[in-house]
Parts: sequence; structure tokens; C-alpha cells
Amino acid sequence: MALNTLILFILLGGLITYFVSKINSKTGAWLTVIISLVSLFVIYSMKDSSGVILNVFNYGNYSLNLVTSNYAWYFSIVMVLVYSMVSFFNPYWMEKVIHPAAYNLFYLLSLGGTLGVFYSKDFLTLFIFWELVVWSSMFIIPLGKSRRATVVYYGISTIGSFSMLYAILMLNVKYGTFDIQTNIQNMSNDPKFAVLFFFLIIMAGLTKLGIFPFYTWLPIAHGNAPHTFSPVLSGGLVKMGGFIAFLMTAVLPTSKVFANHLNILNNPYENYILMILGAISIIIGTLMAIKQDDAKKLIAYSTVSNSGYILIGLAMVDQTGFAGGMMHVFNHAMASAAMFLSFAAIAYRTGTTKISELGGLIKRMPVTFTAYLIAIISLAGIPPMSGFASKWLIYQGLIRKGNMFIAFAAFFGSVGSFMYVFRPLAGAFLGQLSPKHKEIKEVPFWMQLPMLVISGLTILYGVYPGLMLKYIAKIQETVGLKAIEVEGFKILTPNGMWDSWIVTLVFTIGFIIATILYFVLPKSKSVDLMDTYTSAEFIYDPDKYHYSSNYYAPFERLYAKHPSVEKFYNAIALRVNELGQLIKTWFFNENPAFTVFWISIVITAIFMWGDKI
Amino acid sequence: MSTFFKATLLVLLAFFWQLTLAGIQRKVTARIHRRVGSPWYQNFIDLFKTWSKSSISHGFIYDFGVLMALGGTIATLIFVPAGHIVVFDKLDNFFVIVYLLAVGSLGMAMSAVGSGNPWASIGVMRALTQMLAYEIPYIMTVFGIIYANKTASIHAIAQAQQTMGILGWNMFRMPLGVIVGFISLMGMLGKKPYDAPIAPAEIASGPLVEYGGKHLGMLMLQHEFATFVEVGLFVNLFLGGGTLIAFLIKYFIVYILATMIASVVARFKIDQLVVFYYKVPLALALIQTAIVIFTGLGVSIWL
Repeated sequence: MALNTLILFILLGGLITYFVSKINSKTGAWLTVIISLVSLFVIYSMKDSSGVILNVFNYGNYSLNLVTSNYAWYFSIVMVLVYSMVSFFNPYWMEKVIHPAAYNLFYLLSLGGTLGVFYSKDFLTLFIFWELVVWSSMFIIPLGKSRRATVVYYGISTIGSFSMLYAILMLNVKYGTFDIQTNIQNMSNDPKFAVLFFFLIIMAGLTKLGIFPFYTWLPIAHGNAPHTFSPVLSGGLVKMGGFIAFLMTAVLPTSKVFANHLNILNNPYENYILMILGAISIIIGTLMAIKQDDAKKLIAYSTVSNSGYILIGLAMVDQTGFAGGMMHVFNHAMASAAMFLSFAAIAYRTGTTKISELGGLIKRMPVTFTAYLIAIISLAGIPPMSGFASKWLIYQGLIRKGNMFIAFAAFFGSVGSFMYVFRPLAGAFLGQLSPKHKEIKEVPFWMQLPMLVISGLTILYGVYPGLMLKYIAKIQETVGLKAIEVEGFKILTPNGMWDSWIVTLVFTIGFIIATILYFVLPKSKSVDLMDTYTSAEFIYDPDKYHYSSNYYAPFERLYAKHPSVEKFYNAIALRVNELGQLIKTWFFNENPAFTVFWISIVITAIFMWGDKI
Repeated sequence: MSTFFKATLLVLLAFFWQLTLAGIQRKVTARIHRRVGSPWYQNFIDLFKTWSKSSISHGFIYDFGVLMALGGTIATLIFVPAGHIVVFDKLDNFFVIVYLLAVGSLGMAMSAVGSGNPWASIGVMRALTQMLAYEIPYIMTVFGIIYANKTASIHAIAQAQQTMGILGWNMFRMPLGVIVGFISLMGMLGKKPYDAPIAPAEIASGPLVEYGGKHLGMLMLQHEFATFVEVGLFVNLFLGGGTLIAFLIKYFIVYILATMIASVVARFKIDQLVVFYYKVPLALALIQTAIVIFTGLGVSIWL
């Protein structure tokens, strides 16, 4: 199947799914699974295709075209993988969403839209598919808990979309074409104007990635979206912003085009601004994630922080840091999807994602626990999971260039991530099991499967990051960077090397030694969780004996009175609201006096100007 | 085969050396407190005694976490160069060691919280908060060292210092950095005034509250191995490593100095501790790194 056929197949499939879901929502949901799996295989089969131009739609002088390239493949395989894995959760969610048919339709429309964005040949195609994704996800979010979330999401997305649209139209006026490659060529020859377009277009990427000061939609939208759509939002759609950042930093080779501009710590100032924004996002995301009690909001803030890593990596545009940023796109997609999925599984069984209401689920849901554990090890960047390789590469890039302030944020986010990923682990999975959750079971097999597959991939690319880095090296060559050096299991950087195989092996040996020691020593007696040291108090209520709310209270106190960009947004929203109220009172008032007033004004005006009207 | 031999040697060295020193440390503390103290081999007795006793288990994750903690720490240990014993040359990357050490901490934290005791959860919460406090100044200082040496390999950094004699040690070339390093080291070791996570009088030993028998013994061993990694890193990064004998002597001095300071001070509250680390050591670390990056002082101009 060719790419344009695939996109039409997905979009038409979406419509068919809609009507099927009207009759039987479960069948419709299984159709979304089938269609997204088909697209996964089709996209996978296009692994080595590049430069093939495909037409989607013609109208007069304008045509929408797609072109294949290795970076588009990389981004879309990550995206389609997330979509196809998450889709397994859809059938089980049909009773819980308000409009199942609409959910299935928009699920597939957004999938088709993202593919169109990645493969688009011209900016017009990119923008149309971009809006398709924004609109379809906009309609899915209110199917969850809150309608206000949609307003916030769309409001912030609009900033990016309009600024990108403005830039695209300006480019068309200036150079007379929408074609991405031609425009980028023209921009490279004209660095003065390129700065303007660079910032206008990358704004769309920043809003989508959730970079400071646009991060506020992530916790609201991810936290309130249907549980099955949050993994797609965080693992998938956020990466579209990464793609825009990639287009503007690497395809438009900023390090070369802006090389003569003001340099800050070996980076052109344009890139350095992006890195600073990324660094602020890391710190804010980390600090806010530590405070959250709702697991979904916590993961959403961790997405803010990890988007910061991706942006920093991409904005470095060098050999190591850039490869790290690219690999982090995949790693974060897998880790956050797995984390959201495991909390979707918890919500499926218990009906809540609030950490303080859960506890001790490990005995009831071991597979979900394992998936979550592997995901957080990867997200915190601990070897031998794949998250380590990408973070390590980003550090190497930062140290090499001496970017100490950005590195400070990167380290802060990395160590801080231990704190926030551990909180759901301790509060929801470990500790005392609440009596009201005594009877719950593990989720059905088809819901376990995606979590297991994602965990497997996380381990695979952690033990053998070379598999992925080899492909990233090709992308680096395509965009004219020095490719990352990979030798089997070894990654070589100017600052040193990393051999994932040996580390995994040594770790396994250490674990085996510990296990042998454990089994040689006298056997231990198994006791109940409530049978613990209580300072001679008699304690009988597991709920009260479980430490999970206000987990980091002493640390949170330190920044309780933090300044917040949300207050600023609220102030703006209040002003807009007031303006609307004013207009409403003046023009759309129920009081007849206002109507009489306006009519008399109009009549007076007509009489005063007389024959001129 | 020689890799295997070296690794075994390193683990045995860490075992005997650190357990002996832990015994001596108890003696030193006792003398400062005007007590007699336990004999230097007391820790060996303690370890084997706990291993021989019966124990309880609170479920799978409680056991698994202990294995992960000890296994992860043994794995980390093998990457730390001690004098001539370098098991994996060029692979002893600083970040690999720091993050592998986190595997051990994560295992212990998981196991402790898995016991279902809130004291353990509070201890783990404090330990993670403290980690955020001391790691950042430490890594920022090492950032400067790695930037200056153009390599993140601990062994290469240690060797680079030896070529210039005693004044070539990073301790003298980066005096602010070594202060940060030492303060962070005390935080890592959990010595007073940075022992908020354990705090026996407040939270019943925190993470360790539920442990007994072989579980406790294995975590004691894990703690000693982790100590070897942390002090070993400090010696290699700031004091120039050296031959095996020099390494052990430097190790002894650093460890006993930390003990002596710890035996005369009281404990920080956990939020005071974070504020302290972010006020003094972090500021020093940033100044030190800025000096290294922007002026080159401490790298090329010295001597």
C-alpha cells in the first residue's frame, strides 16, 4: 500500500468505523485496532523509502503532496506504534466514553493527520494535516472529564497554529512556493529573514511540545482526556511538536545558517533561546510533577520536563546531543505511553487515578506494575533501559560544548524524576492494599499485551541502543550533520563510550550473585503487610496506615509560593471575558432600552448624513 | 578471564577494606565521644550474625528489591577503578556509575516501601529529597572536571592528575570543587548532619525499619559497597587515585575525616538540608565550573 492510499484508507476507515460503532461500539473499537495495526505494518514496510513523491489531492493550481524521507519514517513509526498499542485499550473503554462512535472516528482521523504532517512535502499540506490532528484531538478531550480542558488545549494550540500559518503565508508571498525544501533553501540564503520565520514556525512546535510558557495545556488536557487518549496525547501527539522543532533546527541547518550570529556558549543565540526555554520547562515540569496527587497530571508534567530534553537535544544540532534528542523522542513516547496505559488499567479496575486513594496494587495487578516499573526506570534514565542512552547522549553533548546552565537543568530534571516517578510507584502499587480494592483482578489479556510489548521494546533498545542509533545516524547524514558513531553495542562519543551489553551483563551477574546469596541464607517467614513495626500502637486500618498523600510535603513547602505563568493567563482570560461581557451588555442585551438606544442612534446617523448614505 | 579475576578481586577488596573501615569508624566515633567502642572487626560479626538469623518477608517486592539493591550495587562497584585495578578500561564512565548506583537505591526504596510501613515511606521520601539536594552540586562540579579533561572516564581523569605530581590533583586545581565534592560525599554516605533518611530517633531508622535477619544483612553489605563506590569516586576524581596503596590510604583519610566531622554535629531537618545544599555547595559548584569553562583556570594555567 502506498502512503497516500494509506492515509485515505485511514481517513475513510475512520468514517466506516463511525457507522459501525453506531451499531455496535465494541466492533467499531476493534476496527480501530485493525486499522492502526495495518498502518503500523504499512509504515514499517516503507523503512528504506526516501524521496518518493505522492499526490493526495488536487485543486486548481494547488496540490497536496507527500514525500517519503527517513526522518518522516522515524517520527511516524513512533507515532503509529503508540497509536496501535493504545488502540487495544479502546474496546474496553467503550462503555465509559460519552460518544463511542465519535471517539473511534477522531482516534483514526488524528492518526491519519499525524502521518500527513510527517510526510508532507509542502507547508500547506503540513498545516492542513496539522489542523486535522488538532481538531480531532480537540473533540476527543471533552469525552473525558472536563470541557474546559478543550478550551485551554485549543486556545494554546491556536497560538502555535496561527503563528505557523502566518509564517507559511509570508513565505509563500516572499518566495512564491509552499514547498518545504525550496523554502528552506531560500531561507538558508537569507539568514536575516530566516530568524523571523524560524521563531514563527517553531512556535507551533513549542506549543505542541508543551515548552514554557505554553506548557499549561498539558496537565489540563492530559489529565482530563479519556484515559485511553492520554497516552496518545503524551506519547504521540506531543512529538509532532518535536517534528516541527526538528524541521526548523536540523532540516533548516540552524548551526550553519545562523553561525555568524551572536554565539552564546558555542550556540547561535536562536538555538540558545530554545535551549533556555527547554531548560526552564525541565525545571518547572519536575517541580510541578513532584506536587501532583493525580497520577495523570503527574505524568503530564513529566512530559513537559521530557519535552525540554527533546528540545535541548534537537537545538544542539551536533553529533551526540542531537542523536540523544532524537532517541529521546522514541524513549519518552514509549515510557509515557506505558505509564499512562498502566494508570488507564488501574482506572479501569478501580475507577480512580488519584494516588492517595490507591495502594498495594502490586499483588492484584502484577503485569501493570511491571510495565510501570520498566517505564519509570527508562524515564528516570537508569541503565539498562533505553532512557539512559538518550539522556547520556544529551549530557555528553552539553558537556562537550560547556553548556553548564542548560546542563544544570538537565541534571536537576533527571535526579528530580526519581522523586516524581517513585511517588505513584509507592502510593499506588506498593504499601497497604485498601480493603475496598481487595477483590480487583488484573486487566484482561488484550490490555496487558500493549504494556508488555512496550516494555519489551524499552528493554530491547536499552540493551541494544545501536539498533536505533544506526538509523538516527542515517537521519543525521541526511540533514548534513556528523553521524553518531555506533559499533555493535558500543556508542562512541568524543567524551567517552558506553557499552550497553557489558553493563547489562555485569548487572545481571551482580543480580545473580545477590540471588545466590539470598537462597543460600536461611529461608524467611512470610508475614502479612499489616504485621509491621508500629511503635507498639494497635493499628487496624490499612487505609490510614498507608503513606501516600502529601508525599513530598517538606520539599513542596520550599516552593509553595512559586510565581506562576498560569496566573498571568488567567488574568488575560479575565480581561477577554470582561470585554465579552461589555459587548454582550451593549449589543445583545435583553433590556429593550438598549435596543431602542441603538435604533435611535442608527436613525439619527441616517438623518444627519442624509443623502450620503 | 583476567576481567573476571579483576572483578572478583575488586569485590573482595571492597568487602574486606570497607567492612574493616566501618569497624574502625565506630571506634573513632566512640573515642571522640569518650567511650571505648566496639572492636574493629565488629562489623564482620554483625554481618555474619544477621545472615545466620531468621527473617520475615513482606511479599515478593520486599525480597526482589533487596536483590536488586545488592545486585545493582555490586555491578556498580565493578566499574569503579581502585588504583591499578581497572576492570573495564574506558567504560568507567562517570554517568554510568552514578546512574547504576541509582539502581541500588531504587531497589532498596522499592523494597522498603513494599514492606507497607509508613516509617519506611517517610525515610525513602527523605532519601530521594536528599538525593536531589546533593547530586546536583556534585554533578555540576564533575561537569567542570569532565569538560576540562575531555573525557568522562574516571580512570583517565585519575591518571591525568598523576602526571603533574601532587599539585596536579583536582583538589588543588579546583579548590572550590573539592569542598563541594566533600560536602556532597557526606550527603551520599548519609553521615551526620545529613542522615535525615535514617534518623533512628525520629522515624525508627526509616527505610530499614522492617528489616531483620538476612534482608538486613544484605542491605548492610549493600551500604558498605555503596560507600566504597562513593568514596572511591571522590578519591579518583579529586585526589588523583594513584597506586592501590595510595588509593587505600587516601580512601582511609577521606572516610575517617568524614566520620570525625559526623561524630560531633547534629542533624539537619530535610528541608533545611535542601536549602543548605542549594545555597552553599551549589553556588560554589557553579562558580567553580564557570571558572573552568570561561577562564580555563584550574586546567591549563595552573603550573
